[in-house]
Amino acid sequence: MYQIVRAPLLGAVLSMCWSGTLFAQEPLDVAIVAPNAIGDVGWDHEVVRGKEVLEERFADKINVTVVDSVGEGPNAARAMNRLVANGTDVLILGSFGHMSDGMALAKKSPDLKVLHIGGYQNLPNFATFTVRHYQASYLCGMAAGYATKNQQLGVVAAFPLPEVLGILNAYVLGARSVNPDLKPVKVVWLNSWYDPPRDRSSAESLISQGADVVYSLFPGTPSALATAEEKGVYAVTTLSDNSAHAPNKHLCAGQANFGVVYANVVQSVIDGTFEGKDTFAGVAEGAIEVAGLSKDLTDEQRAAILAKQDAMRDGSFDPFTGPVMNNAGSEAIASGKTLNTSEIKSMDFLVQGIDSRLQN
Amino acid sequence: MTDTIIFVLAGAFATATPLLLAAIGEAVAEKAGVMNLSVEGMMAFAAAVAFAVTYQTGNIVLGFGLAVGASVALSLVFSILVLGFSANQIVSGLAVGILGLGLSSLAGRSFENLTMMAPANLSLPVLSDLPLVGPILFRQSAITYFAFAVAFLTWWFLAKTRHGRITKVVGEDPAIAHNLGFAVIRIRLFAIIFGAVMSGLGGAYASTILTPGWSDGLIAGRGWIAVALVVFGTWRPLRIAFGAYLFGALLLGDLAVQAMGFSVPPQIMTSLPYVMTIIVLAAVSRNALLIRLNAPVSLGQNFQPSK
Repeated sequence: MYQIVRAPLLGAVLSMCWSGTLFAQEPLDVAIVAPNAIGDVGWDHEVVRGKEVLEERFADKINVTVVDSVGEGPNAARAMNRLVANGTDVLILGSFGHMSDGMALAKKSPDLKVLHIGGYQNLPNFATFTVRHYQASYLCGMAAGYATKNQQLGVVAAFPLPEVLGILNAYVLGARSVNPDLKPVKVVWLNSWYDPPRDRSSAESLISQGADVVYSLFPGTPSALATAEEKGVYAVTTLSDNSAHAPNKHLCAGQANFGVVYANVVQSVIDGTFEGKDTFAGVAEGAIEVAGLSKDLTDEQRAAILAKQDAMRDGSFDPFTGPVMNNAGSEAIASGKTLNTSEIKSMDFLVQGIDSRLQN
Repeated sequence: MTDTIIFVLAGAFATATPLLLAAIGEAVAEKAGVMNLSVEGMMAFAAAVAFAVTYQTGNIVLGFGLAVGASVALSLVFSILVLGFSANQIVSGLAVGILGLGLSSLAGRSFENLTMMAPANLSLPVLSDLPLVGPILFRQSAITYFAFAVAFLTWWFLAKTRHGRITKVVGEDPAIAHNLGFAVIRIRLFAIIFGAVMSGLGGAYASTILTPGWSDGLIAGRGWIAVALVVFGTWRPLRIAFGAYLFGALLLGDLAVQAMGFSVPPQIMTSLPYVMTIIVLAAVSRNALLIRLNAPVSLGQNFQPSK
């Protein structure tokens, strides 16, 4: 008899202990889901690096769990469900493709708070945020405008999506603001977030066209940077300071800091003021800044770049302030007008000075 | 303009190299009657191992060696299934391929997004400095020359040597080959291993020389292009070499055209290599004689010698 009941009894006791620890816990459980394996730079690195910011700010008030290599698809739903079943209070989703699974889960679990990076749909317990990458891109554009000798910039860009167009436009506006002699900027669209060999070949192709500053705009690998270093031309990048991959030729990077936004959201959960809203965080919030500026820039040039960053921080300067012409020759932003958030997020033109056309 | 022509024509050799290596290996396996669809997985695993070893030790030869070892180990799993247990070749190949992709993620996990410098390409005293021809033909990696040499040697082996003919007989009709006294299973095993060595070299080249770095998913379908190239070249090594070069040029042409600022829809350019494949496959398939003369008759069929 004892033998028959022993196993269930043991199980019951164990599960009581387990739920006991769950109820006893004070700290908030935060889980971060990253779509790919974690490198030392790039998207997933930045998604996960927010953990440090959280731990520093909230110390033992929270527990942060990280799950990586959870791409879009059935695996994502499974991983999220397991995290929630294990008691996660705040779920941070690091891939655009996590949107539908995250929404479904948020509807099912009203107590759960979700923070989704890059999405555009909200629920009362489902918040989103995007970083104003274009701000740092404008500043790196200034650096590129200063550094180019051939007056030829080249850009390896992922997809012609509104967000990417905004970053590209800001870069060219920044470059032309300090260097009016620039030749039209050349762009290669990878039509992929991720393809290292094509990334590298694109950079080589731009260099063969005379580009002496190559901007790696969102491809998920440092291939273009390594190529630039190898060929002796400057490299500019998004998301992370890549100086380690191009020690001599790293010109500028837009360093994202997702942790700032995570921390604000976690604070709002602790305070009970969480809202399912969208945040567009930039230099002012500390979510993005220039980093890894090359030592080849003169002190005046570096000061000019940082002054512009300060102007963005206090709101006295915005890259998308008219008059701005598009590259078809008509006016894209009227004189005196500044684009608002939704206009930036739905950008559908290329500014003057870009040698590429959008296909519709 | 000249720079762009050089970029495409010279780059095509480099881009073609992993495709060519893997395709030649697969062609030999298929000539012996074994359809090994794990090329993608073998290349990925080899690429991860090659990068990890080369990055750690700085010894690229050791990197290539262990990469080939990893690829051969995978092919032995495939061989046991297919030759030992007469398992379905297509299904076994797919399964081992998926295993290889998984192992590549595992092996490359702590090397994600790292890069290193590629070893310098060959430089010959006079030839490399010739205008146009120099950078296109005489400034390539040693592996590139090796790949095209292997294509030629494989043609010579299959067409001119006794062992090559025996391999083809095994692929045409293993029962007859068996009755003639040839060890069908052993010959097929050698063919599979040769294929694995080639895929391993192709993968290692991709992660250490072509794109010196590792990120999960680096091979990105190049193994499948290699499998398609075998049919594209109707199992003939020299045609496969030509096809691989054409593919390499088309993959780069897209980028060059964009960088020059032409407004060709990039989607069309990106799909061109694949559209080309479909057209060539359709054209090849229409010519029944060409297929019958070159396709191994027993391709995909297992053979168990009955005592």
